[in-house]
Amino acid sequence: MTDIASMPPAADGSPPLARPGKYLTFSLAEEIYGVPVLAVREIIRLCPITPVAHMPPHVRGVINLRGRVIPLVDLRLRFGLPVAQDHDRTCIIVAQVAAAAGGTRPYAVVVDGVEEVIGLTADAIVPPPDFGGAVDVRFITGMARRDTGVTTLVDLDAVATADRTPDPAGRTTC
Amino acid sequence: MAAPYPSADIKGLLRQIGLELAFFEPGHDATLLGELLERLTAVVGKDGPPTIMRGLDVARARLGAGGSGLTEWLTVWHAWMDEATTAAEREQPFPAWPAAFGAALGHPPQVETPSPAPPPDGTRPARPLLDAQAECQAVCVLPEGHDDELMRMFCAEAEELLAEIEAGVLVLEQSPADEATLATVFRGFHTLKGNAAVMKLVVLQRLTHELESLLDAARRGRRPLDRAAIDVILAAADVVSRYVGETTRQLEGQEAGRSILLPVPALIERVHQVLASPAGGMPEPASAAVAATPPRLAEHATFTLPAVAPEPVPQAAVAPVAPTLEAEPVERPRVTTSGSVRVDTHKLDGLVDLVGELVIAQSMVVQAADAAAGDDTLARSLGHLRGITADLQRTAMAMRMIPIRGSFQKMSRLVRDVAVHLGKEISLIVDGEETEVDRTVIEEIGDPLVHMVRNAADHGIEQPAERIAAGKPATGTITLRASHQGGFVVIQITDDGRGLDPSRLRQKGIERGLIAPGATLDDRETLELIFAPGFSTAERVTDVSGRGVGMDVVRRNIERVRGKVEIESVPGRGTCFTISMPLTLAIIEGLIVSVAGQRFVIPTLAVRESFRPAATAITTVHGRGELVDVRGRQVPLLRLGRHLGIPGGVESPDRGIVVVLEAGFDCRGLLVDDLVGKQEVVIKGLGETFSGRPGFAGAAILGDGRIGLILDTTALVRLGRNPSETAA
Repeated sequence: MTDIASMPPAADGSPPLARPGKYLTFSLAEEIYGVPVLAVREIIRLCPITPVAHMPPHVRGVINLRGRVIPLVDLRLRFGLPVAQDHDRTCIIVAQVAAAAGGTRPYAVVVDGVEEVIGLTADAIVPPPDFGGAVDVRFITGMARRDTGVTTLVDLDAVATADRTPDPAGRTTC
Repeated sequence: MAAPYPSADIKGLLRQIGLELAFFEPGHDATLLGELLERLTAVVGKDGPPTIMRGLDVARARLGAGGSGLTEWLTVWHAWMDEATTAAEREQPFPAWPAAFGAALGHPPQVETPSPAPPPDGTRPARPLLDAQAECQAVCVLPEGHDDELMRMFCAEAEELLAEIEAGVLVLEQSPADEATLATVFRGFHTLKGNAAVMKLVVLQRLTHELESLLDAARRGRRPLDRAAIDVILAAADVVSRYVGETTRQLEGQEAGRSILLPVPALIERVHQVLASPAGGMPEPASAAVAATPPRLAEHATFTLPAVAPEPVPQAAVAPVAPTLEAEPVERPRVTTSGSVRVDTHKLDGLVDLVGELVIAQSMVVQAADAAAGDDTLARSLGHLRGITADLQRTAMAMRMIPIRGSFQKMSRLVRDVAVHLGKEISLIVDGEETEVDRTVIEEIGDPLVHMVRNAADHGIEQPAERIAAGKPATGTITLRASHQGGFVVIQITDDGRGLDPSRLRQKGIERGLIAPGATLDDRETLELIFAPGFSTAERVTDVSGRGVGMDVVRRNIERVRGKVEIESVPGRGTCFTISMPLTLAIIEGLIVSVAGQRFVIPTLAVRESFRPAATAITTVHGRGELVDVRGRQVPLLRLGRHLGIPGGVESPDRGIVVVLEAGFDCRGLLVDDLVGKQEVVIKGLGETFSGRPGFAGAAILGDGRIGLILDTTALVRLGRNPSETAA
């Protein structure tokens, strides 16, 4: 892990370092990402999506999860990765994220496919490097080095919170 | 009274006694109480006011005698002594000597008459009921060490009891001897007293105790209720209501610990006066007479209060009318409390939501089974299931529904008060008060209703002389009517007053800059002006209405719950407001439309009509926008697909459908591809990811399990009218 550890840490203002524990990993455009398993409510197949007009492109719309209306965000677009067609491995991770009013609320993200659940010890996690502005580090809590490669750990709370303060680029007039 | 009157010490000791009493139980050691009593006697001294000294004698004797009913007796005594000492301190008349005291000593004490005290025959000087200078008492509503949850329950129950009491009193005003209603009102105060005692709300306990005595006397026929008695009961109910209101606010953390001024001592004194005087013998606070109406339906209460009573009303006219065998049965508004359970509204909402889901899931199963086809048993079972879910949904919805009666009862009181205040004669006719409405809707309709009824009574109904001059009966009539029409509750507020004068409205509108001087408005549009912000037709601001809250706020409140309000008025004949609101806020009836395969829900209440336009019906105004001809009226057209950025919808309007939306005064045609159907949908919030994005009022799960977005019709209609929204 020396190559990652030697990278300079991210600038101030990034989220706190990811905690050790179990992570669900998933793929997005050939890269592997992870979210804490405890934040994951369920994984479902792609289902009918109702688009909501005047939203930034990464907000795909809303889905019906057993009667609840849940926002669905495309993580590829959110992370600035290229658009891809949905395929048979594409699936939806339904997570619980912090609600503004306290408590949690369901929040769904589209990923290219889920991989596995892994355990990460504290020494396997290092702070995210400064990518030089190429990647939005607001959402990244750390990097984990594994035999198969590097896993980027994502903070879905931060992803969800960012929807409320949309970046000007994604805004459409309404 | 003795000049250096040690009132502080006396009050301190009395407080201690009160506290001791709260914990005192029969059979327990009464030594401490005895000691406190001795100390009090010592402080009052040998030169104290004779009434108070006698009061102390009585208490010592009663305490010595012990036995049953001691606590109650001492509570009465404590309340009396508290007042007597206050009276002594302020050199005011002593409170009446409670009947219970006599029994303790075995002989009735001579009634002492301190300086300005009335002769016992009840001919006191007239005094307005609780004028502005009425003696008030600073009350800290939350007792020390109270339990928030218990206090909340107390407040909730007190509010119900108050509503019951008020309704009952208004019935009693018409038929003072109605036994069942008397019993209801008596029980109301009795329960309030008991609850207040449990919560250690000493002031409330004292006040309600007095009211209970008054009603008990009425119940036993010793003191039939007349106008003076009714007034004091209503005034007391108001004080309790203020107390409860303040408590509720403080429980929410607003200015907790604040004391409020309540005219409790003055009220209690007034109760004593009423009790001491024979029925009809009380001087009327206002020169008014209770019309000698026979016992009538509560729904038809007449509050006749001539501004100037020509001459004293004969005793007979005021005397209560005893119900006779021939009298038509009196229908009393009554809240049945038996067998009811208090349920947290959140739980109820949760249940309603779940049932809504069940209904949708059920219909999905049925659709899937239809597709599979062929199995009779399955079809029968599913039919059964459908019946049960429909029943379940009805029942769940019904649990949230309460009769609108409560809101209407408040109006009786309001109209009565306005009539008294302005010297008008107004009769309020209430119809359909059993109409059931979702409780959230009732909460939202409360303020607009108060405002509109007050307007009708204040601005609508004329003074009696003016009415007679106009050839109308002196008594004005306001009618409140509630009914179900389709999925909506319709409330009409009609008055037979002076009506709205279109030319005056026009002039006002021009003055306020709401319309251009040359604008041509039809009558409907002119009447709509009263809903414009900053428009008030009142010539003068009265303290009854015209406090700056206009009809625009009323309309906004009603629109917030997806309702609408309409007005009709004939000058000289009266005005009628019609409010239509959804029965419930959880479910709406929606028109489902499609644009390029996407479906949207439009609340049907906002839809005026829909039609397929002829190609010629659309005109373009120099590239700025399109207009559609709706029965000769040019209405701006909005292409929903373009507005939402959905490609692939119909391009030529004559292949689509125009849905005409209305929001108040404004209309807009919405071009969609097709009408899919009508459906009742459960409204879901879109959640915080979509907060701050106008255009959608929520989402609904449609019959096939997919989500349809509910259009925010008000925003769509008003789109572009506000310069900041012209971007569309």
